[in-house]
Amino acid sequence: MGKIKRGVSLYSYQQAQFFKELDLEGQIREVGENLYGADGIEMLDEMSLRNYPNPPEEFFDQWFSWMEKYGTTPVTMDVFCDVLQFRDHVMSISECADRLKSDIRLAKKMGFKNVRTLATTPVEVMIEALPVAEECDIRMGKEIHAPIPLNGQYVNEIVDYCQKTGTKHLGIVPDWGIFAYRPSEVTLDWYVRQGAKRESCDLVTEICMDNYLGKSDELNKIDLSLYSAGNVESMFHRYLKFGDAPKDLIPAFNKMQGMIRSNVSGYTDIDFEVMGQALLLSRTKAEDLKELMPYIVGIHGKFYNMSEIPEKPGTYQDISMDYEGPIGFLKEQGYEGYINSEYEGQRRFQDRDEAHLISEVDQVRRHQEMLKRLIGE
Amino acid sequence: MFDNFLIRKDSLKNEKDDHGNVIGFTFAARNANYRGVYLSLHNGYYIKVDGIQYKRDVQTFEINGKEPRSFEEIKTAIWEHWDYDDEGIIHVKKEGGLAPGRHTIEFQQSVLAAYGYLPTDEEWVKCPPEPGTGAGSDKTKNIVTYELELQE
Repeated sequence: MGKIKRGVSLYSYQQAQFFKELDLEGQIREVGENLYGADGIEMLDEMSLRNYPNPPEEFFDQWFSWMEKYGTTPVTMDVFCDVLQFRDHVMSISECADRLKSDIRLAKKMGFKNVRTLATTPVEVMIEALPVAEECDIRMGKEIHAPIPLNGQYVNEIVDYCQKTGTKHLGIVPDWGIFAYRPSEVTLDWYVRQGAKRESCDLVTEICMDNYLGKSDELNKIDLSLYSAGNVESMFHRYLKFGDAPKDLIPAFNKMQGMIRSNVSGYTDIDFEVMGQALLLSRTKAEDLKELMPYIVGIHGKFYNMSEIPEKPGTYQDISMDYEGPIGFLKEQGYEGYINSEYEGQRRFQDRDEAHLISEVDQVRRHQEMLKRLIGE
Repeated sequence: MFDNFLIRKDSLKNEKDDHGNVIGFTFAARNANYRGVYLSLHNGYYIKVDGIQYKRDVQTFEINGKEPRSFEEIKTAIWEHWDYDDEGIIHVKKEGGLAPGRHTIEFQQSVLAAYGYLPTDEEWVKCPPEPGTGAGSDKTKNIVTYELELQE
């Protein structure tokens, strides 16, 4: 039986790139040389490439020379689709598919095996691009990102299509955030620095933990299975500011506001947003992966903060999400694909000065320590 | 995200025309995201300096080695990419420019990038949102305040 493979999404190094501490080669070098044998590279086209979507020809030679030099391999390219690009109309399904086809060809040219589309990409777009994916032998995976669950419409429609047609080039990319059971401590600390009350943070943590441990089902009735986390957060913010939101979201928003009103004195709008963090959880269990194993293109090892495990120096964990359970389950199921570290905690330090930013390099090294240990290499 | 780092601290300057008249001020900014975007999505800024607001009609944006462009022109740059690594220069028209010394700048960027289709899409084609309302700034939801020294 093969083993789970380890890699890194260069998304993890977004801050180091922003401050020009690590360029693309530096990021690849870090993966190849310092992560205990990790070799997978996942990359966001619009983050890592200069002159997207047409990098100069010399770039491709340079890219392959880096792969060879650092012993790394291209695994997945993450692509985007901003539907207002043309500004005079909203992009049609076919226009989105054209962009996806062009990204698939670019991924092929860089030696990637997979292309990840956004969670909110309509399945029709992926189906229209499928002939190009098959021609290029690229597997397309739709990201399944919290609060989207594994057992909802977005996953079902992909699985149904695969079963109906037998295609091997369509699937899903689960993001580990679906196994988060509470907001990260770094997210809550950030909210406190923005003016939220510590009581609100304690309240949201308590409600999430009660739900996780089966002591309460307060959150289970909320269904945000068709929204991305980024969109839910910005819609809640707009709702608080201007009172407008998609109708199906309003009951959940009201519920979060109600909990703060009845439990926290002297609250302000930002306390509602702290409570809104509870809406970003998928409440997924490892067993939910079982029927989906053949469709997993790759997995995003999302994490928010790696802290040392008490009394176990040199070993690390993320206290907001379950890694042990799902990794154990994936091993049992014989998963042989990649888990790629995807660090997302850096933005929770960026309200402070440069001296208080966090080291992404260090966080990813800690995460890879944990993956290696749990995989049992 | 990158809240405190979107404007380069040492970039605030007055701008002169060919005859040496001060016609406004400029500063350098980055995209508040973890990736680049097609330039057409860039919808302008909420800018308030020492309590006075400067709207889109007095703003131009300089990027990719081209002359500063108005946001009406930027809107048509549908195949030009604003790469993640690159800083752009915001030009604000203001006769006489800013006085020497420290200035308080309140700042929010509007870039109409998103995760797929949104309920606001059709509305934003017809009538792009006003920068500063939070629209197009999902990764830096709040208006950020900077204290900047005018450079020589």
